Amino acid sequence: MSTTTTPTADPDRTGSSGASTRRTDSPWLRPFRGRESGLLLVVLGILAFLAIRTDTFVTVDNLLVVARQAALVAIIAVGMTFVIATGGIDLSVGSVVALTSVATGFWVISADLPYIVAIPLSLATGLACGLLNGALIVLTKVPPFIITLGMLGIARGVALGLTSGSTQTGFAPPFLGIGQGSWLGLPVPVWVALVVAVVAHLVLTRTTIGRHVYFTGSNEPAAVLSGIRVQRVKMFVYVVAGSLAALSSLLETARLSVAQPSTGVGYELTAIGAVVIGGASLFGGRGTVLGAVLGAVLLSLITNGLIALQVSAYWQQAIQGAVIILAVALNEWRGRRAVAAGRAGDT
Amino acid sequence: MSAAPEAEPPTDDPPAPGVEPLVRMTGIVKTYPGVRALDSVDLEVRPGEVMGLVGENGAGKSTLLKVLAGVVSPDEGEVLVEGRPVRMSGPRDAQRLGLAVIHQELTLAPHLSVAENILVAAEPTRFGMLDRREMERRTEAALSELGIQLDPWVEVERLSLARRQLVEVARALAAKARLIVMDEPTSALTEDEVDRLLAVVRRLRDSGVSIVYVSHRMREIFEVCDRITVLRDGRHTGLSRADDTDPDALVARMVGREITQLYGERSDQARDEVVLEVRNLSSGDRVRDVSLAVRAGEIVGLAGLVGSGRTETARAVFGADPHQGEILLRGRPVRFGHPKEALAEGVCYLSEDRKATGLFLEMSVRRNIAVTVPRTIAPKGWFRPRAERDVADRFRTSLRIACPSVDSLVGGLSGGNQQKVALAKWLATEPSVLLLDEPTRGVDVGAKAEIYRIIRELAAAGVAVLMISSELPEVIGMSDRIVVLSAGRTAGELTADEATEEAIVALATGIGTPATG
Repeated sequence: MSTTTTPTADPDRTGSSGASTRRTDSPWLRPFRGRESGLLLVVLGILAFLAIRTDTFVTVDNLLVVARQAALVAIIAVGMTFVIATGGIDLSVGSVVALTSVATGFWVISADLPYIVAIPLSLATGLACGLLNGALIVLTKVPPFIITLGMLGIARGVALGLTSGSTQTGFAPPFLGIGQGSWLGLPVPVWVALVVAVVAHLVLTRTTIGRHVYFTGSNEPAAVLSGIRVQRVKMFVYVVAGSLAALSSLLETARLSVAQPSTGVGYELTAIGAVVIGGASLFGGRGTVLGAVLGAVLLSLITNGLIALQVSAYWQQAIQGAVIILAVALNEWRGRRAVAAGRAGDT
Repeated sequence: MSAAPEAEPPTDDPPAPGVEPLVRMTGIVKTYPGVRALDSVDLEVRPGEVMGLVGENGAGKSTLLKVLAGVVSPDEGEVLVEGRPVRMSGPRDAQRLGLAVIHQELTLAPHLSVAENILVAAEPTRFGMLDRREMERRTEAALSELGIQLDPWVEVERLSLARRQLVEVARALAAKARLIVMDEPTSALTEDEVDRLLAVVRRLRDSGVSIVYVSHRMREIFEVCDRITVLRDGRHTGLSRADDTDPDALVARMVGREITQLYGERSDQARDEVVLEVRNLSSGDRVRDVSLAVRAGEIVGLAGLVGSGRTETARAVFGADPHQGEILLRGRPVRFGHPKEALAEGVCYLSEDRKATGLFLEMSVRRNIAVTVPRTIAPKGWFRPRAERDVADRFRTSLRIACPSVDSLVGGLSGGNQQKVALAKWLATEPSVLLLDEPTRGVDVGAKAEIYRIIRELAAAGVAVLMISSELPEVIGMSDRIVVLSAGRTAGELTADEATEEAIVALATGIGTPATG
């Protein structure tokens, strides 16, 4: 229990209750305080570096290519943010991308359903995977790591099994448009990612269920005793993660005009990387949509930047890995400094 | 005592006998950014004495102990061990000097055995393999110094908290500690276990080990300590022989004022309406057959040994654990499957461990207070920060929660203020039944008095209060009626007039006959 705190940590001593420092800045700028602003600087720094070192990278065309790619990663990372903020993890999103891709191929091409039916069905595939993840986690009380590791195998296996590993092509132009088209100068996937990010941000910060996500991740037993239906919250976040993985898969399938059961390998790690770069804690309770999106942009920039710098593809993963470690270590360090400054000597 | 106690010089220090003190800390200063945590503090411990260390939360006790444990190095001042100045740059140095600190949060590895925990980092080996027989021997030697017997190979997880504490002490002995610091060792123990621990402390002292005993509980301090050092606001405000002072004087020196009427006045308004009634409740393997009733405006104490099913009873009533039996609210049978349902009916439960199950430590005060009232702060499912702030500000004022603003993180507040936040979150729901589980655990005297006042006010406003407490003076001082549990059953009931520590212990241990209630 509480050990003695030093007088700093004990506001009894600092007394004056009128000295409250009210934050008056706009709620729209608030997300940019702290970590996210630092991350934004890093992203801009990399862009500046690439602009100087190469002629080809910082051009409108190339940036749009990068943005299209980053959007797909960002959508998955946003879903992962929900999960990680509860202290969970979803390792199955890459496999869900594959299964959804296969399902999209089946419903759009083989079954030839109208888009208005086929696309919701595709999204429902991912939603169902998330629902299954959530239900198993809540019912069996087995850690999310294990359950979603199992789902990683199951979804991938079903996708490969149903197709015998074969890809499917023959999507019609209207469908391809959602992956390859542009609107008002921006690629459609970027618009989708923006809408997803804004909605997700509002859900997490402004709705009851979204706020309950953080309470659950911050202290689950306390959340239960505070009257929060923690099990529902968990179901919700895995459904969100599965659905957004499916959405990303839909865009990717349209972008590549091929439904393939082998896609999405390792996407879960990229998404987790993006989320933790964005400042989330794997122990839960912390994580923002903006951070995850910036993390996704950063990782995509690095991959593409390395190509532009003509670094061998073999080395790219190593550099990505190093960036993840660096970013999170930096976050830790900053966090600890903030704690040290804020409550000196407190245990 | 009207004179400012800090004006007194350190008094009652008896002339030092011919022996060199084991540890002497002089003029210790430690400054953290913006605050002087320790301002020229002295502490002297002689061989084979029990030195009491008292002070409110924030007085600097734990910083001083950290200096002693080698965790924090002082800005100024000296630490002398047997007259020789020492510089410690880490806990290992302290260990080598024979100084052991037993923290409130125990540091045992729950999944390892007693022997492994006691001999951690000093495991005897033969040919590179752990020597189990030698481990057993040393473990039993350390335990028998404490006068207790335990299976060396039982997992620590399966021991009671009291036993675990003794294992920590045994570990210190096995590491050849000459000074053992106990930081509030009894905050989670029952009266019975406290007595046993105090016996161990005396036994250690008689065998020549020195003890620094930190506690908020005056009874223990006076029962076991030879001398007592008082800290307030990082300063040394008194050193006296236990025989030469008394609890009131000590408390006055701790808080800088005298606290009169700690528990407040019982109100004698008529209480007829039974708000909460529990009949033949059972839950898990701890609660077997509990019946009790609480009327509007009444404070009912729920006493019993640790493990008697008090917490589990409250959790079952609150819907946090599955249970059988009848629960009636104002005569109407209810069955809560989830705390949310209990909240909707105005039943609240303040959990016993605010850090583990009460608060969201890395969140702000306002988040913590408003977590229970999503409807108020998000009227149509859409969160309004202004509403959250209003709720939090209201309680910050009414409960006098000392924090720079409601945006401050709860983890940075003192124990007393954390507890007020934990209480505020329930008061925000405007409860009609309040289940309080150890409402003043780990809270200093000043904050205790305030929490008692708040509880009294709630009762006066008609709230039915069921208060679990392991501190008998608190139960007796606060309760209109006391229900005593023993091994998961209602063992009896005492009115405020009948309640004595002896009567409660007799019922709790099953040797007393149930009084009529």
